[in-house]
Amino acid sequence: MVISFSLIRLTPGDPASARLGAGAEIEAVEQLRAQLGLNVDPFRQFITYVSGLFQGDMGVSLVNDVDVFDTIQRTLPLTLTYILLSVFFAFILSVPIGTFIGWTNKASIVYVFKSITSIIIATPNFFIAMIGILIFSVQRSWAPVFGYVSEFPTNLKYLWLPVAINTLILVSIISRVLHTSVVDTRNEEFVETGIIRGVSRPRFFWFYILKPSMAPTVVLISYMMGTMLGATVILETIFSLPGIGRELVNAVMSSDYPMVQGILMFFGVITVFISFIGDLIAYRLDRRVKL
Amino acid sequence: MSNNRAFATNSSRKDRIKEWVARPGGSGIIVGITMFAMIVLAGIIHPFVSKYGPDEFAGDSLQPPSFAHPMGLDQLGRDVMTRVFAAVPSDLGIAFLGVSIPLITGTIIGIMLGIAQNKYFVTLVSSLIDGINAFPLLIVAIAMVAFLGPGLFNVVIILSLLSWARYARIARTRAVVVLQQNYIEAAKLMGYSKKRIVTKHVTPNVSSETLAYALSDFILVIIIVSGLSFLGFAARPPAAEWGAMIADGRTFIGQAWWLTIFPGVAICWSAISLSFIVEGLSRRDRGN
Repeated sequence: MVISFSLIRLTPGDPASARLGAGAEIEAVEQLRAQLGLNVDPFRQFITYVSGLFQGDMGVSLVNDVDVFDTIQRTLPLTLTYILLSVFFAFILSVPIGTFIGWTNKASIVYVFKSITSIIIATPNFFIAMIGILIFSVQRSWAPVFGYVSEFPTNLKYLWLPVAINTLILVSIISRVLHTSVVDTRNEEFVETGIIRGVSRPRFFWFYILKPSMAPTVVLISYMMGTMLGATVILETIFSLPGIGRELVNAVMSSDYPMVQGILMFFGVITVFISFIGDLIAYRLDRRVKL
Repeated sequence: MSNNRAFATNSSRKDRIKEWVARPGGSGIIVGITMFAMIVLAGIIHPFVSKYGPDEFAGDSLQPPSFAHPMGLDQLGRDVMTRVFAAVPSDLGIAFLGVSIPLITGTIIGIMLGIAQNKYFVTLVSSLIDGINAFPLLIVAIAMVAFLGPGLFNVVIILSLLSWARYARIARTRAVVVLQQNYIEAAKLMGYSKKRIVTKHVTPNVSSETLAYALSDFILVIIIVSGLSFLGFAARPPAAEWGAMIADGRTFIGQAWWLTIFPGVAICWSAISLSFIVEGLSRRDRGN
């Protein structure tokens, strides 16, 4: 909280003059500064802001006087839906891929797997999205180019392409990590014990291979949430989905300073919270992990 | 392999290069360096070779790729290939600045934290580092654009203000390890000054680690710079910049795929070439 406040505040530049443009008159800038509460010293600004926060008040948008908290509440469900959907699908897809490739560990398969995933990881998500639009919306018209309708059956039509793109990126990252940790797990002694004891196949794969390999993967996914929120901003802008990411971009475009600060702080809290949960799950899966 | 190396020192230069490539990850490093050199070179020589300037009208608008214009023409009749190469300084150059400035400051701060005795200083700076690292980089960068205003130069400032924290964390961890090594103890016993120990013994051993991280960070920064441009927060549309060009081409994606694809391929090309180098170096490090 302190950081999000001071990061914004320590940034050189003045929101008031940035908003009014370079040619603004000094009186106008001063007036706006007073309106924003920027004319008092930073410490007092911080106190005002924090005391507001404890009352559930994150400030009010400068552009349309909407409450920042309400905006976050309104836009969050969509973002959450599509992040959770893509994490879910990515998990379902990458667990078999990562385990299979890690278990066989055949040099040629690993080579192809690593090349494909590193190409996908090195490609910016907006470019993947553009290719997706080009193939599925322009040439095949299976998906609308952009837009969103928030009723249940129709929204899937708008959501499937962004979710698919997010999933693709996630699958390549998660399965890579899973592959590495399966290879590591395979060399552990308890795996050999499992083979010698003749544990049944499903039980062997689940308890001896997957469960210990899962801990680093879960930690990674939880740390990835931050990056994923960043990706969400870009994907929501491309597909014009009215989520929290697009709200942030719009707020930045219009120098809506309380809104930017509120969303930024929200993202920070969520990122820390999720990485904490990830550590907890990892501890449940593998007690050797230190909390 | 290690036996050969003893002989290799006596052999000719060509053999030594061959031997270097044959070591783990060698081919990947070579491919990566070649690919990266190609795009940098294209960026350097294109003003002398291409027939049009990046903002110059070169023919009817939205012409598909042809022999005269290998990457086609955009909506204002500008040559896309010229623009893709003209964007090299603003993309790779900005990314380079955005990596090297935090690399230097972050390493210095990290080493200072490693050797500092003052508890308050260490706690203060470490919590600042943790605080900055807690936020997703792209999100904070976008938020800071709101206060700095858009522009490529501002992106460098933002990256310098944010990225150092990641380098400092790595440098600090490494510095703490290095300071416990025997050679530091030996240097102390030999009566070297503190300044000499820090500059000649600690810094090289710490910076090798941060440099390695910088290389993989380069990929991330290229993608962030072009991503910010794509959103319209770094380079603005008339400028030749890959992200901005893709954003431009988005309007015409139904009619002119070449406006989007070629700048995107350029980003991928640079990012993939770097990831080849990173992967090659890490394989060499592990020795397989």
